[in-house]
Amino acid sequence: MIPRNQLDLRKFVAPEFICGRGALELAGRYARNFGMKQVLLVTDRGVRAAGWAGAVADSLTEAGVSFTVFDAISPNPRSRQVMVGAEVYVAEECNGIITVGGGSPMDCAKGIGIAGSSRRDILGFEGIDRVSVPTPPLICIPTTAGSSADVSQFAIITDETRKRKVAIVSKMIVPDISLLDPEPLTTMPRELTVDTGMDTLSHAVEAYVSNASSPMTDVHALEAIRLLTSALPAAIAEPENLDLRFSTLLASLHAGLAFSNASLGAVHAMAHSLGGAYDLSHGRCNALLLEHVMAANYGAASDRYDRIGAIIGGGETTPAERVAAFRRTLGITETLAAAGVREDAIPALAAAAYADPCMVTNPHNLTCEEIERIYDDAL
Amino acid sequence: MHSDPPDDRDALREKIIGLGETSLHKSYYPELQNRLAELERFRALLDQTYDAIFLIHAETGMLADVNATVSAFLGYSKKELLKKSFIDLVAEQRKARFIEYVRKRSDLVSGSRQTCTTVLVSRDGTEIPMEITVREVTFSGKRYVTAIAQDITERLLAERELRIKESALESSTNGILIADPTGAVMYANRSFAAMFGCEEASALTGRNLEAFFADPAVGGEITAHLLDDHAIVREAVGLREGGSPFHIQVSGSTVLNDAGQPLCIMLIVMDITERILAEQLRRETYAQLGKNIEQFAILGDHIRNPLQVIVGYAEMIDDPFAEKILDESRRIDGFITELDRGWLRSANVRQFLLKHGDGSSSARKIRFRFLNVKEEDS
Ligand SMILES: [Fe+2]
Repeated sequence: MIPRNQLDLRKFVAPEFICGRGALELAGRYARNFGMKQVLLVTDRGVRAAGWAGAVADSLTEAGVSFTVFDAISPNPRSRQVMVGAEVYVAEECNGIITVGGGSPMDCAKGIGIAGSSRRDILGFEGIDRVSVPTPPLICIPTTAGSSADVSQFAIITDETRKRKVAIVSKMIVPDISLLDPEPLTTMPRELTVDTGMDTLSHAVEAYVSNASSPMTDVHALEAIRLLTSALPAAIAEPENLDLRFSTLLASLHAGLAFSNASLGAVHAMAHSLGGAYDLSHGRCNALLLEHVMAANYGAASDRYDRIGAIIGGGETTPAERVAAFRRTLGITETLAAAGVREDAIPALAAAAYADPCMVTNPHNLTCEEIERIYDDAL
Repeated sequence: MHSDPPDDRDALREKIIGLGETSLHKSYYPELQNRLAELERFRALLDQTYDAIFLIHAETGMLADVNATVSAFLGYSKKELLKKSFIDLVAEQRKARFIEYVRKRSDLVSGSRQTCTTVLVSRDGTEIPMEITVREVTFSGKRYVTAIAQDITERLLAERELRIKESALESSTNGILIADPTGAVMYANRSFAAMFGCEEASALTGRNLEAFFADPAVGGEITAHLLDDHAIVREAVGLREGGSPFHIQVSGSTVLNDAGQPLCIMLIVMDITERILAEQLRRETYAQLGKNIEQFAILGDHIRNPLQVIVGYAEMIDDPFAEKILDESRRIDGFITELDRGWLRSANVRQFLLKHGDGSSSARKIRFRFLNVKEEDS
């Protein structure tokens, strides 16, 4: 266990953000304020169909800002999609990016910003602090309450040829402003609400137990856990309740601020490995791994895990069991095997997870064998 | 199994926390500073140019920006200039024409370049003739006109000087021909064309100068000589367009560049047919004159010889007529002596013959004879 000392140097980076009803409509004003003349509006087809890309477009038009829509983005965005977007960005002579959507369009938009301003392949930026050319102004409008890419220094891009997820970590890609509007969350289907909610919980838990956590991140992590565990089941029951949706959005914001600065741990390292190999939903991977990683890590940060368990509540004895019970109440009852993961794939998955930068801040220095065992438990 | 050195993981962790050397929040300021420095450098370059550069609002005609050269030319500060419209700077008498020019071209495709000349007036009233290249450009959705003006005062003076020289060449009564070092004609003046029976001087351009000599080799010789020696004066037989030959005198020189290499050759051609004919006539006249004098001397001898015989006889006989015969003989001898003397006296003629005679033997004999007479006479 890494000893913590509150006098250790810590940094806290957060973008400007506006939260509340109608935040989305401010997109045009901020685009203009950032000097954007031609915007690349990065979204996906689902968000477009739900009308949220159109709402942002209206706001831009009203502000007299031109834009080009780029929506050729899949879940777990591919490096090829990023490069196509960067080509569009350059060809259309854009000078700013607005992204409206979940984690996939937001991560893709960050990638487009990096590749568009450096004119290099996005996969070359894998790792920490590799982005040196400032990216164009980026406005994020999240339509899910999960990824928190709208406040984080992370962009996760899938290297489709090598079937792995690449983490790009840099303060340079923290968005310039995040517009947190609960309204777009109301069109999220139940499954997406559940998965993104579990992603939020994983962010909060991992940030809180991270060996890079700080008093500042602790406040946000704990508040995220408190907000999410109470609001998420209610929001699922009342998907159009703006107050409940807003609470999940706030939970995601707190979790995002916490993990962007304290980073994550084994859950995300292992989920990235899974998502790269199987193209599974990121939130679902986290949901299936979280309790097993908590159990494996418990000894390294027991007091912190106990605190988490206390917030979640319930009759179970360990924090991991309480998290497991929580996900079951959300309807997540399968295992990794049911999601298609094969036992013989575990060593490769573990090796990839071991090399993931998120593993560095896990409270316990897991060996490959330990990681394999966790996958095994989750199977 | 994987096992990174702990140092590596620690360094990575430091960076994730944000304590790495380059763990920086996005800032455009360093880039902004670079760009500003770049702009300043560019501005300095623009200010260094000899061209006056104006950026004009297309809608209003007001100056949006100027380089330092504009201030240097016109004597207004940049601040003063930015309150003026471009037309304010155009000389009063040229304003209407300039406005007309701009109006006519206002429907041109954006980005096309146009050049005109006008006169700008400086603060102290000095009029500066300028050649102005204008082009419409769009920056950030706003239309502007860039005008790049060059002071053409010196160029106009040089053009005037050149025109004077050109018309002097053109109007010369001598034929003037300029050819490149290969002998190809670049220019021929009116007199040259007329001399060679050609109506249009320009029609001669491109021909080789060999074509103007009865013997084409002469043209080549002259060119070769000029490239070697840089000057030549010689007579030759020219060939007219119609094929008729005529006598010419050619004075040639080579024009060299700064490096001393020949740029072109220039020939000044005079029609000397009349002079050649006159010389021929003179030569023939002198030859005839020489022959006549010789015959005249022989005639004198033919008279004197029988006269001496007559005098001899008359002295020997005693006859009242003898004295009469002697008197008449002396008179005749006197006439001949007088004639000889008359020739001697005409020293001008003698000198002329000595100088310009063709040197034939008869003339020398006559001179000898006259000298004899002179000796006898004195
Ligand atoms: Fe996540």
